[in-house]
Amino acid sequence: MSEVIEYKCPACGGAMEFDSSSQKMKCPYCDTEMSIADYQMAQGGADGGDPDNGSPDWTANGSGQWEDGETEGMRIYSCQSCGGEIIADETTGASACPFCGNPVVMKGQFSGDLKPDYVIPFKLDKKAAKEAYYKHLKGKNFLPKVFKAENHIDEIKGIYVPFWIFDAEVHGDISYNAEKIRIWQDRSMEYTEHNYYEIHRSGSVSFKNVPTDCSKKMDDALMESIEPYHFSEAVPFNPAYLAGYAADRYDMKAEECIRRADNRIRSSAINAFRETVQGYQNVSESHTNIQTRNARYWYALYPVWILNTTWAGKKYIFAMNGQTGKMVGDLPLDKKQFWRFAAGWGLGISALLCIIQIIMTLV
Amino acid sequence: MKKRIKVVLLSALLALTGVWTVPARAEAIPDERLLPRLTDEADLLTDEEEERILAQLNEISERQSCDVVVAAVDGLDGKTAMEYADDFYDYNGYGMGTERDGIILLVSMEERDWWISTCGFGITAFTDDGLDYISEKFLADLSDGKYADAFSVFAELCDDFITQAKTGEPYHEGNMPKEPFDPFLILVDLAVGLGLGYVIAFIKKGKLKSVRGKADAEDYSVPGSFVLTVNSDRFIRKFVTSRKIEVNNNSSSGGSTTHTSSSGTTHGGSGGKF
Repeated sequence: MSEVIEYKCPACGGAMEFDSSSQKMKCPYCDTEMSIADYQMAQGGADGGDPDNGSPDWTANGSGQWEDGETEGMRIYSCQSCGGEIIADETTGASACPFCGNPVVMKGQFSGDLKPDYVIPFKLDKKAAKEAYYKHLKGKNFLPKVFKAENHIDEIKGIYVPFWIFDAEVHGDISYNAEKIRIWQDRSMEYTEHNYYEIHRSGSVSFKNVPTDCSKKMDDALMESIEPYHFSEAVPFNPAYLAGYAADRYDMKAEECIRRADNRIRSSAINAFRETVQGYQNVSESHTNIQTRNARYWYALYPVWILNTTWAGKKYIFAMNGQTGKMVGDLPLDKKQFWRFAAGWGLGISALLCIIQIIMTLV
Repeated sequence: MKKRIKVVLLSALLALTGVWTVPARAEAIPDERLLPRLTDEADLLTDEEEERILAQLNEISERQSCDVVVAAVDGLDGKTAMEYADDFYDYNGYGMGTERDGIILLVSMEERDWWISTCGFGITAFTDDGLDYISEKFLADLSDGKYADAFSVFAELCDDFITQAKTGEPYHEGNMPKEPFDPFLILVDLAVGLGLGYVIAFIKKGKLKSVRGKADAEDYSVPGSFVLTVNSDRFIRKFVTSRKIEVNNNSSSGGSTTHTSSSGTTHGGSGGKF
């Protein structure tokens, strides 16, 4: 049985949580608040994980396998408050005890090679997520009218989602064929001059902190939709930030995610080079060589609010960036409303056109 | 003596019934109109059609004080269509008032020629552009052998053009008669309208979808990190193509081109084959 960490309040012994608005540890029972550093000082640094967290150049050696003898894909923890058994996914790194509700952080999920380098702590709380969700429903055309009333929020969960974040310097060497066209006239002739150019661009551009989520549970498109994250607010990882939230550890290695980041970086680099080719009517790339150099990556946890909802038997998922508040989630279409609108406007425009034409024949 | 009287009487009769329509070779232009406003030597029309169109031409001509004439002949007697039309108009005494205001549509079946000749106020009323417009409207019927329809359309348009010219500004390019509302346009409007309605609805629908993957890493490029070490635009070659500009011959700025007929009268006109 693996251990779990509980952040006991030094004043009353209750389980403390990380509070997103004050960015401090807070006891929900006695309202004691203290910064994470103060808390750990009080605890004698017992739960602080490895003290040597100063190596930013984290390298994966691929030995992050777990101990043997575990139930397939499952882990069992025992709650330090009530002794109840907490059964969790093998990737779960933080959760709440199903019996007493105390927030727990699983020890070992984020230590050693699995220890994240950085974490962006939650800045927005559950209330903000709910508000953002209702705001998200506003002003949406053709959203079924009953959706807002009937869409049942099954669960709002603050999750620290594991991300690989990549830094890279891109060297590009691109050639283009371009054409400039000049047209002029004299009294009887029109002339078209085609000027052909060979264009060469070579240079470099850097990217920092390109994130790719590395949890199989999380949809890649959903996670990319709530970007960007501002890495400037990231802090060195400390498991205390996870108290009160759910957290997953990565289950996709950096090698599996690097392709996604690299594609995005390449396409941005190609765009940057292309934007320097100006003043031509036709431009086509004739030769492209993009090399990624000095690529480095880190492991970080980013805050995401996930809302799971059900409407008319179908599940809808919404995600909010826990740092910036950007809310996304696809909504259902009321087909009847859609077609009624299209037909109404269509007939209206048709009638207007007819009237304009009739007036034109009369005036 | 009796025989001579008979010949004279017969000639007079022939002239009156309009069978003898060969233009009189007289050098002088008669003061009075010698023939009806519709002559159908080529026999293109039924009696009933003839009657109807003649009535239409008479009504328009008298109301507008401007002769609107249609003549259908078998051949041109070796003249050009223009010459024949001008002479037919002049020597048969068509035209009203001192300026001999009027317009004639000549149709010759031999070589399938048509010519419109204008005179007096007709030259003002029917500009070159206007004649192009009118011929475009009746030529299809003429080619299809719907002669009555073609003549009727011609008469109606003449009426409209003369009325417009009396306002002081005859129809010319850029100022043509308004097309009547075509019911077919309703279908076109409906298609365009419904298409636009769907596009608007489709655009509005787009807000429902907010989950999209990101294709680039623009948000994470380091500001100022883009450095170019090579930045060359090398000119390779050029070539020039040229094209003759289609010059619009009808740049007569809405006027009428005229010529002088054999009788010395000034005519405007336009024509072709059908």
